[in-house]
Amino acid sequence: MDLSELERDNTGRCRLSSPVPAVCRKEPCVLGVDEAGRGPVLGPMVYAICYCPLSRLADLEALKVADSKTLSESERDRLFAKMEEDGDFVGWALDVLSPNLISTSMLGRVKYNLNSLSHDTATGLIQYALDQGVKISQVFVDTVGMPETYQDRLQQRFPGITVTVKAKADALYPVVSAASICAKVARDQAVRNWQFLETLQDFDADYGSGYPNDPKTKAWLRKHVEPVFGFPQFVRFSWRTAQAILEKEAESVTWEDSTAGDQEGTGRITSYFLSEGPRTHHHAPHRYFLERGLEPATTL
Amino acid sequence: MESSDEAAIEKHRVHLRPVTLRNAAPAALHLLPCEVLVSQSAPVGRFFTPAIRQGPDGLEVSFRGRSLRGEEVAVPPGLVGYVMENEEKFIGKQDFSGALESDNQEEEREPLERDFDRFMGATASFSHFTLWGLETIPGPDAKVRGALTWPRLAAAIHAQVPED
Amino acid sequence: MAAGVDCGDGARARQLVFLLPEYLKDASKKMKRGLMFVKLVNPCSGEGAIYLFDMHLQQLFEIKVFKEKHHSWFINQSVQSGGLLHFATPMDPLFVLLHYLVKADKEGKFQPLDQVVVDDIFPNCVLLLKLPELEKLLHHVTEEKEINNKKYYKYSKEKTLKWLEKKVKQTMAALKTNHVNVSARVQSTAFFSGDQVSSDKEEDYIRYAHGLISDYIPKELSDDLSKYLKLPELPASLPNPPSKKIKLSDEPVEAKEDYTKFNTKDLKTEKKNSKMTAAQKALAKVDKRGMKSIDTFFGAKNKKIGKI
Repeated sequence: MDLSELERDNTGRCRLSSPVPAVCRKEPCVLGVDEAGRGPVLGPMVYAICYCPLSRLADLEALKVADSKTLSESERDRLFAKMEEDGDFVGWALDVLSPNLISTSMLGRVKYNLNSLSHDTATGLIQYALDQGVKISQVFVDTVGMPETYQDRLQQRFPGITVTVKAKADALYPVVSAASICAKVARDQAVRNWQFLETLQDFDADYGSGYPNDPKTKAWLRKHVEPVFGFPQFVRFSWRTAQAILEKEAESVTWEDSTAGDQEGTGRITSYFLSEGPRTHHHAPHRYFLERGLEPATTL
Repeated sequence: MESSDEAAIEKHRVHLRPVTLRNAAPAALHLLPCEVLVSQSAPVGRFFTPAIRQGPDGLEVSFRGRSLRGEEVAVPPGLVGYVMENEEKFIGKQDFSGALESDNQEEEREPLERDFDRFMGATASFSHFTLWGLETIPGPDAKVRGALTWPRLAAAIHAQVPED
Repeated sequence: MAAGVDCGDGARARQLVFLLPEYLKDASKKMKRGLMFVKLVNPCSGEGAIYLFDMHLQQLFEIKVFKEKHHSWFINQSVQSGGLLHFATPMDPLFVLLHYLVKADKEGKFQPLDQVVVDDIFPNCVLLLKLPELEKLLHHVTEEKEINNKKYYKYSKEKTLKWLEKKVKQTMAALKTNHVNVSARVQSTAFFSGDQVSSDKEEDYIRYAHGLISDYIPKELSDDLSKYLKLPELPASLPNPPSKKIKLSDEPVEAKEDYTKFNTKDLKTEKKNSKMTAAQKALAKVDKRGMKSIDTFFGAKNKKIGKI
């Protein structure tokens, strides 16, 4: 898979896709949606769609695609290669959401949670296929959350398409299995070839599975925590595991929207001109200064 | 940095070494929209600078998993930015002798007192800095931009008045 | 260079971010020393404030600091908490001198300058006497006498008010050219709304300029200046109830607070209409007692300083 665009800039999101098979613009198609790398504290999350004409579904099944989790990495790579060979009737597209995008979304002033981010990405990919001229008649989506509300929302968004949202859809529908393989291949490759934009010292490439409960991953996080910057952007700062390590091992940082509890200890400044005396202000500076955050310096 | 003699604090003089104003090398400064509770060395060039991107509406970066938007702010004309540091050590002998061998300018005959005189020097200079806002460009309403207009107004307030 | 200095564990000296006039760099060429920060009286509040003296240029600089919550600096390869930005801007030394002249005027006689500019708390005030320009400026605010080649000065309120009026005028002009929003109506929409400026009234400019100048003079003089400028009295109102900022209970009235300063200042400069509350009236009374005694004020302050 050619992820060179991601490797050039992995701070945002990146979309990759196969050419649209001509037959998919003519015949009604079935499309599967799945994701890889939702849980890990490291690396990107990848959303993928895979589609083929209803008339060729048997051919897709014949590839023996299965839930990517039940396959070895080499089997996934082999299956993805086969799908590429069958590019005359199988198409795919994927969105790589960088860990930085995930962190900044989830930690935003207005929190953008992972579910919303996932749903919007899936919706975006379906719309992308439609925009490319793919004649979608059925969509199957794998989900980890509540399938009903998700299905309602997608169905509303795409009224002309029959939408099925199901837990474990990746094991039930070959087109979802195929999407899960695309997603997983992309995620693995992205993690394996991650271009750290930070220069890390004593860099250790052995970060385990990336899942928060993997001792190797935890050890890696602890090793690479930086007191001021925290982690490289490869890490999802919004994960509890990452936050817990930061709280213990990195310096405290407060923002204007930080909750009050985080803000203790602000304003410790030592100075030569010692004390400012009791902190009573009996003269309010003129509004010109107040509006500009200016006051007479009383310490250096 | 606290003085040992607390009774006469207002007697302190902090001498800014003039030579350091001329020798200060340019520095890169970023004003962040968050309080980092420590002052220490930090690998800005290894973690922060390489992550800066030019976005459609200004500079983009992230810090601690939060998205920042930034813009360059120029030091107003007629001013120079300096980073200064107190010299931690007490006055050394060279400072006293330096005063003696000086070119008899009055200011240099001022005796130094170990407890009240300290030195400070410029360690770097700057003509612009990068101002960062949390998720949005600070823009013209940023308080610090207002503050930067102060020297011009100050000049008018403190200019000598015309004679009658 | 800042980038280099690393003290083992990464801890390092506090870094101050400053904006200085460019000419300081060149003017200081021959000096080994001569630029110094000292604490002097803030002529408005009577408290201490940092100033910079350039003994070579014989100039006084005021130091203001930009301070806003939630800022830090990255300076080369370091982080500096606080995010402070210091400004050194030339200051008219007469403002500081006025503080001493008014104080010395209690004696009611002509005095040599070196007897006027004395200060137990801020002994560095003697540096003011080394500013040669000062003598040429003194006529703005004093009556002078010369006896045996020695000059004697006495504070003149009349001359001072005239001088301050000129200050207000030049400040007004600068407010206009710099498009400062002086309108009393809107305070939230910051600085640069150009269309607002045109609708600002002349009175708003005078009042605003008077307010700025008042940040450099004693409260009493600010009130006199207001009358001198014939600024209409504003209906009394305090945007922030003063009781929150002033602890009436745990300090004697003359201890260190000049309650008037805060109180009437707001009465003058803020424009919202409302009646004085009982508490505010009480404060207004307290004022007059506090006002009479700049000496007591200092005496008390002196004691206080000793304890710090």
